[in-house]
Amino acid sequence: MKPFLESLGERVLLFDGGMGSMLIAAGLGEGEAPDVWNITRPDVLMGVHKAFLDAGADVIQTNTFGATPVKLAASSRGAPPDAAKVNEAGATLARTAIREFGFGDRWLAGDIGPTGEFFPPMGVLTEARAFEAFRIQAEALENGVVDIFLIETMYDIREAVAAVRAVREVSVKPVVCELTMERKKRGYFTIVGDTPARAAEELPAAGADMIGANCSMASAEMIDLASEMRALTKTPLLFQPNAGRPEMVSGKAVYRQTPEEFAAEVMKIVEAGAEAVGGCCGTTPEFIRALRAKLDAWR
Amino acid sequence: MKEHLEQCMQAIVDGDSPKAAELAKASLDKGYPVLEVIEKGFARGIREVGRLWEEGELFLPELVIGAEAMKKAMEVLRPALEAGEAAEKLGRVVIGTIEGDIHDIGKTLVATMLSANGFEVTDLGADVPVKRFVDEAEKTGADWIAVSALLTTTMPGQKRVIDELASRSLRGKIRVMVGGAPCSKEWAAEIGADGYAGDAVAAVALARQKTA
Ligand code: B1M
Repeated sequence: MKPFLESLGERVLLFDGGMGSMLIAAGLGEGEAPDVWNITRPDVLMGVHKAFLDAGADVIQTNTFGATPVKLAASSRGAPPDAAKVNEAGATLARTAIREFGFGDRWLAGDIGPTGEFFPPMGVLTEARAFEAFRIQAEALENGVVDIFLIETMYDIREAVAAVRAVREVSVKPVVCELTMERKKRGYFTIVGDTPARAAEELPAAGADMIGANCSMASAEMIDLASEMRALTKTPLLFQPNAGRPEMVSGKAVYRQTPEEFAAEVMKIVEAGAEAVGGCCGTTPEFIRALRAKLDAWR
Repeated sequence: MKEHLEQCMQAIVDGDSPKAAELAKASLDKGYPVLEVIEKGFARGIREVGRLWEEGELFLPELVIGAEAMKKAMEVLRPALEAGEAAEKLGRVVIGTIEGDIHDIGKTLVATMLSANGFEVTDLGADVPVKRFVDEAEKTGADWIAVSALLTTTMPGQKRVIDELASRSLRGKIRVMVGGAPCSKEWAAEIGADGYAGDAVAAVALARQKTA
């Protein structure tokens, strides 16, 4: 298989969609840590990975979004599970899915999400604590054998940088880092006020090979962000929007956008110059399949 | 005094805790009416911070720093509010911010005013589970449960407190008052609350009027 970074320049790569919404559909209960299913429900995870592979994703993501030791401790009622085990299991089973279902030409991304704690003045998180949490997670993902690392949904650049550095400490593989931003009057910002310009400067400087944005925004809202970031940097870009805005229907988040609408809008992100695209919350394999068809027909 | 109120407001907008505390102390030294200093000075400041935040001019760090400055000012002013405490108790109130919601500045102000006006107040703090409101009210023999909610997503918790009271056949025995920025008279009526208060003074008036 070709190295990931080399392929980036040759064609637009397709990442997979939302893991969380798939697991909820498979019966994940409220307050249950989804990452633990890597150990307790590997059958379900194999099914989800297969569905995204079948849909045509070039890159699938491990089910380890909340699997830093810090986040696992916060999301577990009793004694937290061993973070290293949860991560390694997540990588190993996704790797098995790729091999067993005959998709040897696809890449596996070790997924890393925020610790859930805040840096001051909002909270008491320190660079050292964040770095150590990410290092433990990255090392376990490396042991489970991933091809690249995908740090995503970061809202504080300090935490994102800590994660990139931690991965760099344990691995020489490509690192992607996505922030999650919203559109305000004066432009795009994370909830703590970090900007695309800072992302374009600080994340590659810390060692990221690719940067981008995911979650918080629907596909249509992300098009301008893609143009803005393209103008800011030559670093390869990845965007993974949600399947529209969630609507609350009897206490549950429902995404109303159709796969076709989603794919049509994500193609505008591709037109804006992104090297890779994919989906976030609410994007089922159907969304990825629709996008695959459009990408294949493109140029 | 007008200029002083402007300074109080600005200290919160700037997130300047030392300045806010200093201005609060100066308000007391000058003998300004404490409640007015809070509502027309400091609270106006924190609401302005909220507005700027909503506009996307400020972000979470500034919001938190503003809230901290507000709390510093309140710490200085609270003893003065409580000084007028009446000898005779008018009734018992259990108060808190509903579960899932950590906004406690307004709730604490209401609690302080109630106790300054002769109510015996049990303040359960913020992020209080539904059951805990009712447990505590039963335990203390409260006349009122006052439930604060600042988020549209946590408002339904106010209704759950009422449901919990009903399930223990305590409706009518213990009254429920709701408040907080997104609440309204209409919301109170819709969920069957016994009253709504738009600010701390109204909360006192409501409790006074309806406590038999
Ligand atoms: C039961 O009897 C009663 C009777 C009367 C009662 C009563 C109970 N409770 C209150 N009253 C009444 O009397 C009081 C005195 O007159 C009054 O109380 P108030 O609380 O209204 O007034 C206080 C004296 C001053 N006002 C305040 O203290 C609130 C100010 C604003 C700016 C605000 C603050 C400060 C904070 N916040 Co937040 N915050 C906002 C607020 C904007 C606003 N305009 O209200 C609001 C409420 N927040 C909001 C949001 C979204 C959030 N906040 C959050 C966090 C915070 C801080 C921690 C940073 C901080 C709170 C600090 C603290 N310890 O309280 C998050 C939620 C955390 C959580 N789970 O609770 C977060 C979700 C942000 C995030 N993305 O993380 C918005 C809610 C939107 C909505 N419609 O639901 C918001 C309206 C801001 C906005 N403009 O968008 C009356 O309402």
